[in-house]
Amino acid sequence: MALLEMRNITKSFYGKAANEDVDLLLEKGEIHALLGENGAGKTTLMNILYGIYPKDHGEIFWKGEEAGFSTPREALAAGIGMVHQHFMLVPTMTVSQNITMGLKSPGYPLTDRAAVDRKIRVLSGRYGLDVNPDALVRDLSVGEQQRVEIMKLLYRDAELLILDEPTAVLTPGETENLFVILRQLKAEGHSVILITHRIPEIMAVTDRISVLRAGRKVAERATADTEGKELSRLMIGRELKTVSLPEPTGARRACGAEEAGGGERPWDGLHLEKICCREKGRSRLEELSLEIRPGEILGIAGVDGNGQKELAECIAGIRKTDAGSIRLDGRDLTDLKAAARYGAGVAYISDDRHHDSLVLDMSLQENYLLNTRLRKSHSRRGFLGKKRSRAEVEKIITDYEIKCTGPDQKIGLLSGGNQQKLILAREFACDPGLIIAFQPNRGLDIGAAEFIREKLLEHRARGAAILLISTDLNEILSLSDRISVIFEGHLSPSMENSEKIDTLQIGRLMAGEGMNP
Amino acid sequence: MKNILKNTLGNLLLLLIMIALSFIMISAVGSSQSQALSAFFISIFGSVYGLSEVFVRAIPLTLAALGVSVGFRTGFFNIGAEGQIYMGACAATAAGMALPGLPPFLMIPLVLTAAFLAAGGWSLIPGFLKARFGLSEVIMTIMFNYIAINLTGILVRTVLKDPSYALPMSPEIPDAMKFSSLLFPTRLHGGLFLALGAAILVYIILWKTAFGFRLRAVGENPRAAKCTGISVYVHLLAAALISGGLAGLAGAGEVMGLHFKLMDGITPNFGYLAIIIALLGKNHPFWIIISSLGISALHVGSSAMQRQAGVPSSISWIIMGALVLLILAKEQILIRLNERSES
Repeated sequence: MALLEMRNITKSFYGKAANEDVDLLLEKGEIHALLGENGAGKTTLMNILYGIYPKDHGEIFWKGEEAGFSTPREALAAGIGMVHQHFMLVPTMTVSQNITMGLKSPGYPLTDRAAVDRKIRVLSGRYGLDVNPDALVRDLSVGEQQRVEIMKLLYRDAELLILDEPTAVLTPGETENLFVILRQLKAEGHSVILITHRIPEIMAVTDRISVLRAGRKVAERATADTEGKELSRLMIGRELKTVSLPEPTGARRACGAEEAGGGERPWDGLHLEKICCREKGRSRLEELSLEIRPGEILGIAGVDGNGQKELAECIAGIRKTDAGSIRLDGRDLTDLKAAARYGAGVAYISDDRHHDSLVLDMSLQENYLLNTRLRKSHSRRGFLGKKRSRAEVEKIITDYEIKCTGPDQKIGLLSGGNQQKLILAREFACDPGLIIAFQPNRGLDIGAAEFIREKLLEHRARGAAILLISTDLNEILSLSDRISVIFEGHLSPSMENSEKIDTLQIGRLMAGEGMNP
Repeated sequence: MKNILKNTLGNLLLLLIMIALSFIMISAVGSSQSQALSAFFISIFGSVYGLSEVFVRAIPLTLAALGVSVGFRTGFFNIGAEGQIYMGACAATAAGMALPGLPPFLMIPLVLTAAFLAAGGWSLIPGFLKARFGLSEVIMTIMFNYIAINLTGILVRTVLKDPSYALPMSPEIPDAMKFSSLLFPTRLHGGLFLALGAAILVYIILWKTAFGFRLRAVGENPRAAKCTGISVYVHLLAAALISGGLAGLAGAGEVMGLHFKLMDGITPNFGYLAIIIALLGKNHPFWIIISSLGISALHVGSSAMQRQAGVPSSISWIIMGALVLLILAKEQILIRLNERSES
C-alpha cells in the first residue's frame, strides 16, 4: 500500500488551470522529486495536499484512506509537514521556541524548556540535524534556519516532509549537508517530496521523479533509469542549449548616458576604489576595489552574507559609502544619490524583488514606471503619460512572453519568473552602461534563467559593464569573463574565466582560505 | 460581476444591521420609533435648509478627510487632522486680523495659503520626526492635537481675543475674507467649491502626476521606492505637508464661511471623523465626498432625533463606531470568501 496517493488532482485559478489531472504515488521511505519549471504547478499540488488550497477535483489517499485536509493543521496532525520556500520563523525568538510554537509543550502552561530542549537534542543527534535550541533565529544562517524548519516538522512527528525549493538559498556545502540529512530521514523511514527545478540535485538524492509541465504530469521515472538530459527535455519540452563560455567581446561604444552631456567620450566602464561601508559598527566592505571594462562581465562568487548586498547597494547608491570612490565612464558617482546614478546609466537587479524592486499592489505598468529614467521620460510637465508607456508594457509582455492578463494586472498576482522578466525589461529599457545583476536567477526556472542569460550577453555585446553577483557558482562560471570571490567584505584578485579555471581554488577562497584581510 | 453582487449584498446586510441596531438603541432609551425615524429623515430631506446643513458639515469633513487620505496613501498615518484644523483656523484668523485692508481677491488666497502652511507646517513636525528618525507619527499626531487645541484656547484668550467681549473668542474677521453665502438664508457657503476643488486636485495629483505616483509608491512599498531612486524622506515630508495643509483649509473654511470668528471648540471632532471618512472612502477623493455627505447626514439627522424625539445624539457616535467595525469586518469576510472561491 502506498503511503500517499493523489489521483486526478485538478485545480484552476481565475479560470486558468494550475493542475490538470495530476496523479502522484509515493511509497514509504521514498524521496520523490517534483520537477518542473516555475509555474508548472508543483507548489500548487503540494499546497492542495497540505490543506492550503482546496482542490477542484480529484482524490487524495493517505495511508490507504481517503483524506482531504482543509488546513495545514489537519495535515500536520496526520503526519504531513511542509517547509515553504520562504521560511516561517520568528527571528526574535529562540530555535526552541520556534520549534514548539503552537504546541502544548510538557509542563504547559509553564513550559518545561529543558525537557523540550532535550527532545530537540535527541532528534538532532538522530537525524544529524545540527541546531542549537538556545540560539536566536535571527542569528542563524539560511541553512541553519532551514534545519530549524525541518526540525519543527520532525518534532511534530511528520512522516512525510515536503520541501519547496530547499536548495534555492543554500551554498554548495549547505546543499550537501541537506542531502545527508535527507538520506538519514529516509533511513529512519520518513518520506520526502522535493519540489525543485535543479536537475543535478535530483540525480544525487532522489528515488523517483515526477515531471510536471504547464500543470500536467508529463512523466514519471525512477532516478536510476533516467539521466539529466532526458529530464531537462521533459521539463522544458525541448533540448536545453549547451552552455558554453561566451566569446570575449571587443565591444566599445562612443558615449555614455544622454544626461552626461552627450559628446563623444571614451567608454570607460566601472571603477571602484577602496570602497568602505560600515553598518552598526561592523565593517561590511573593507577597502574594496574593482574594475569592470565595457563589454565585460565580472562575476562575484561567495557565500551569502559576505557583503554582496552591501556592494550592490553601494554601487547603486542605495547605501552610503563611508570612503572610497565610484566612477562610471569617467564620471564620479560617489556623491550622487540613487536616482542620479540610475540617470547616469546604472541598472540594478536586486536579489529581493518583492521588497526592493516591485510594488506588489500596483499594476505591471506602474511597476514599469518605477524605474527613474523611464518615469522621467514618460513625464510631461509633471504629468505621467500613461498611453505611450502602456504600449511599451504591452510590447514587453509580448517580447518577454510574460504570462499575465495585461498591463493593468497587479504584479503581485504573477509568478516569480514573470515578475523578474518585467524587472529585467524595465531595467534594460534604457540601454544601461552598468548592470548590477544580483542573483538574477533566484527562484527562476531553467527557461527563464536561460532567457536572462541571453539578455545579459546581449547587453555585454553592446558594451555594458556587468557586475554579476551570485551564490550559485555555476551561474558565475557560465557567464563571467573574470571572477572574484567576496569574503567578509574583502574581494579576492580577479581571475580570468575559462573552462580550465580552478574551481577548487574558488571554493577555498569562498571559505576564506587565502584571503588576506 | 460575482464580486459586485457579493459587495452589494454585503452592503445591504450592513444597512440592515445598522437599522436594527438603531431601532434597538432608540427603544432602549424609551423613545418612539416612528417619531425618531421621521425626525431623522425629515431633518435631512424635509427642507432645503436641512439638506444644506448636510453640505455645510460635509465641507470641512471632506477637506480634512482628503488630507488624511493623502497621508494614508503615502504611509503617513495622520491622526492629527483635529489639531491641524485648529491650526488652520488660527492662522486664517490671525492673517485676516493682521491685514485688514486687502481686497477679497487678494485676501482669500492669502489667508488660505497661510492656513495651509500653518497646518501643514504643524504636521510637518511629526512628518520630519518620522522621516528622519522613524518615530511613530500616529502617537505624535495624536499628542499634537492636544497641543493645538489648547494653543487655540490660549490664543483666543490673549493675542487673538476680541477686547470688547468677555468671552474667549476673536473679533469678527474682515468682510474681505468671508466666503460668500450660496443659498441664503441657509448657511451654505463658498467653501463648497474649495472642498470640491481640493478633491479634484487631490485626484489629479495622486493618479495623473509623477509626483503622486511617487507618493503612492512610497506608501505601498517604501523599500522598493528607495531602491528605485525615489526619496522616501522627501515624499514623506511632502505628504505630511499636504495632509496637514488640507485639514488646515478645513479649519480656515469654518472661520471664513461659517463662524466668522475663532473660538474654542471650532470643530466638533471633525478631525477624527475625517479618519473614519477616509477609511470609508478607501482614500479615494470621489468616495470621500460621498462618505462625508453620509456621515454629515447622520450627524444632522441624529441631532434632530435628540431635539424632537429625545433620543441622545450620542447614538450617532455609537452608530458610526459600529459602522466602521462592520465595514472592516465586511471587507475581511469578502476577502476570505474570494480566497475560498478562487482557491
